[in-house]
Amino acid sequence: MDKICILCVDDEPDVLRAVARDLAEMEEGFPVETAASAEEAKGLIGEILKRGDRLGLVFCDHVMPGQNGVDLLIELRGWPGLQGTRLVLFTGQAGHEDTVEAINRAGITRYVAKPWERELLVRVARDELTSYLIESGRDPLPLMRYLDQERLVEYVRRRNRVDTGQ
Amino acid sequence: MDTKKIIALVVGSALFLLPLFLDLDGLSLMGHITLGIFLLAAVFWILEPIPIYATSLMVIFLQIVFLSAQGPLFQMNEVPSAAPIPVEAEVWEIPRQALDGDRVLLLEERNRTEAAEVSLVESRADTVVVRSDRLSEGTRVVIDPGHWFLDFDPPSYTKYLNALANPIIILFLGGFVLASAAVKYELDRNLTRVILRPFGTRPAMVTMGLMLVTATLSAFMSNTATTAMMMTVIIPIVAQLDPDDRYRIGIALAIPFAANVGGIATPIGTPPNAIAIGALQAQGIDIAFGQWMVLAVPLVIVVLFFVWWLLLTVYPAKGERITLELSGTFNLSGKAIVLYVVFGLTVFLWVTEAWHGLSSSVVAFFPIAALTAFRVIEKDEIRNLSWEVLWLMAGGIALGVAMRDTGLAEWLIGMIRWDLMGAFVVIGVFGLVAAGLSNFISNTVAASLLVPLAISLGASGILTDSVSLEINAVIIAFGASLGMALPISTPPNAIAMSTGLLRTPDMAKMGLLIGVVGLAVALVLARFFWPLLIG
Repeated sequence: MDKICILCVDDEPDVLRAVARDLAEMEEGFPVETAASAEEAKGLIGEILKRGDRLGLVFCDHVMPGQNGVDLLIELRGWPGLQGTRLVLFTGQAGHEDTVEAINRAGITRYVAKPWERELLVRVARDELTSYLIESGRDPLPLMRYLDQERLVEYVRRRNRVDTGQ
Repeated sequence: MDTKKIIALVVGSALFLLPLFLDLDGLSLMGHITLGIFLLAAVFWILEPIPIYATSLMVIFLQIVFLSAQGPLFQMNEVPSAAPIPVEAEVWEIPRQALDGDRVLLLEERNRTEAAEVSLVESRADTVVVRSDRLSEGTRVVIDPGHWFLDFDPPSYTKYLNALANPIIILFLGGFVLASAAVKYELDRNLTRVILRPFGTRPAMVTMGLMLVTATLSAFMSNTATTAMMMTVIIPIVAQLDPDDRYRIGIALAIPFAANVGGIATPIGTPPNAIAIGALQAQGIDIAFGQWMVLAVPLVIVVLFFVWWLLLTVYPAKGERITLELSGTFNLSGKAIVLYVVFGLTVFLWVTEAWHGLSSSVVAFFPIAALTAFRVIEKDEIRNLSWEVLWLMAGGIALGVAMRDTGLAEWLIGMIRWDLMGAFVVIGVFGLVAAGLSNFISNTVAASLLVPLAISLGASGILTDSVSLEINAVIIAFGASLGMALPISTPPNAIAMSTGLLRTPDMAKMGLLIGVVGLAVALVLARFFWPLLIG
C-alpha cells in the first residue's frame, strides 16, 4: 500500500533481469516491476493502482511485438492515476520521428540509450523519482535515503514541509 | 483507518464525555467540561488519530461550543423559573422547590441569579407562601436552586477565538515571515557561508562552526528549515569522507541537535517557548525577548559545547582536513536589501526591548507589514507559511486559558501533595516529564499539556519556596526542546535520520545523554542563576 513503483517494459527477458539487478539498491524503497509487452504492462499498472500503490517511473523499450513503446507511453500519459509519473524511453532503436512523438505527446523526461551503464540507469532513476516525489507534494523524508538528498532537503527548506510534529 | 486510530478516537471521545457524568468535588461545571476537553486533547495529541494541529482546532471549537456564551449549550438551555403569584402586599406564592432554606434565587438576565431573603408564611401542597420585599410582578424565581446550569457563566467566544491571534502567535508569524523571506533570498545560506569561513578546515573546528551557525539560525528561524538548509551544506562534506569515517555520523548528528538546542535561545526559536510565554502573559507576567535570551542563552551555550565535545569524542574524524564548498554571493537586489534592513532592525528591536519597552509582538508586526508592502514576500510565500504550526500553538494557548479560568488547572494541581516535595524537586519533575514526553510526542503538545499545570501550581501559593511562576513555565519549555532521543522526537531529527547516514541507536544514545545533561544544566541554572534575574 502506498508504495511508489518503478516499471520496466521490454520484450527481452535479459534486459528486464539486468535492469532489475541494476536497480536492486533502490528496491527496498521503490519496488521494481517488469513487463514483457505493452499489454502485460497495462495489466500490471492496473494492478499497481488497484492495490493502492503508485507508479513513479516507467522505463520503456520502443520496438516490441504488439503495441510499440512510444504508443504505449502516449497512452499511459492519458491514464488517470499516472499524471505525475515520469516516463523514460529506454531503447537503441527509436527513430527520429518516434522520439519526437515521445517527447511531444508522451512528455518523456529522459531518453536512455541501449546499451546502458548501470551507474547511468541508477542516476536517472534517482533523479526522476526525486522529481516525482517533489511534484507529488508528499513528505519526502521516508524515501530520501534512496534519492537525491541535496535536492530533497532543499525542497524541505523551501517548503518547510515535514510530516512530523514541531 | 487502522485499529489504533479508531481506538484512540473512541477513547478520546469517551474521556471527553466522562467528566460530564461525574460530580468532582471542588470543580465547577465549566471545569468539568474543560477537563473533558483536556483529556480528549491529551489522547488525540499523544496518539494522533487526527493531525495534531487538527486537535488544536478541535480544542478551540469545543471551547466555543461548550464553554462560550455564543455556544449552543448556553444558547439552548435555560434555568427553569416561574413567576411568583401575588397573594397580598409583599406576600407571594411560589413553587415549593424554589425555596432554599430562607432564600430564593431570583433570575436576572440570562442564567444569572441573585439570592433574595424570604420568610415562610404558609406551606401548601406544591407551593409555599412567602413574604419578601424583593419579589415583584416582573421577577422570576428559579424553580430548582441546585440546577447544574446555575454556576455556568460562560465568557464570550471571542476569548477562545483570540488564541488564534494571541500576541505570541503574532510574534511567531513575524518570525515565520522573516524566515520565509530569508530563505527566498538565500540570506540564511549566505550568512552560513560568512560565519563558517573563519572556522577553517580542521574537523573539530568545522563541527563547531556548523553547530554555531545552526543554533544561531534556529534561534530565529524554524528548527526544521534550519536543519534542511544545513543538511545541504553537510551532504557534500559527507560525500568526500570515507564511508567508514565515524565523523560522518558525528556531523549528521551535530546539525539536528544544534537546531533543537538553538531553538531554546529566543522566544521565537521554537513553539514550546511560545506556550510558556503565552501562559505567563495570561497571568500578567510579561517576559521580554531579551530577558528570555538572558535566561536561555547560557544554557544553550553550555549544552552546545557539551554536544560538540561528546560527538567529537564518540565520532572522531579520521582525516585532518575538511573542505567546505561555500560558494555564492549575497543577493543585492532592491528587495533583498529591504529584507536585510528589516531583518536587522527587527532583531535589534527584539533584543533591545528592555531599552525601548516595545513588546516583541508589536515589533513582530513590523516585518509582517514591511515585507508584504515591499513585495519581498508575496502570495506564494504567504501560502507556504507554516500556518498549521500557528494553529497548533493556538490550541495549546486556548487550552491553557480555559484550564486556568475554569479552575481546572488548580483542581488538578490539588490532587498531588506538592508541599511534600521541595520547590526544586517540583521543577525537576516538570522538566523531566516535559523532556521525557517530548521524545515521543510533539514538543509543542508536551508544553501545552504541562505549562497550564505548572503555572497554576506556581500561582496557587502551595509552594512557599522562592520558585517563581516564570521558572516553572520556562523549565518546561526548555525540557520540551531537550527531548531529542528518537528520530520522531523532532523534525530536525527526522530529517537527519532520513539521509541514511545514521542508525537509530546512534541518535538514541547521544540524544538521551544530551537530554539528561541539558536538563541537569537547566536545573542548576534554575537553582542558582535564574532567581537572580527574575523577581
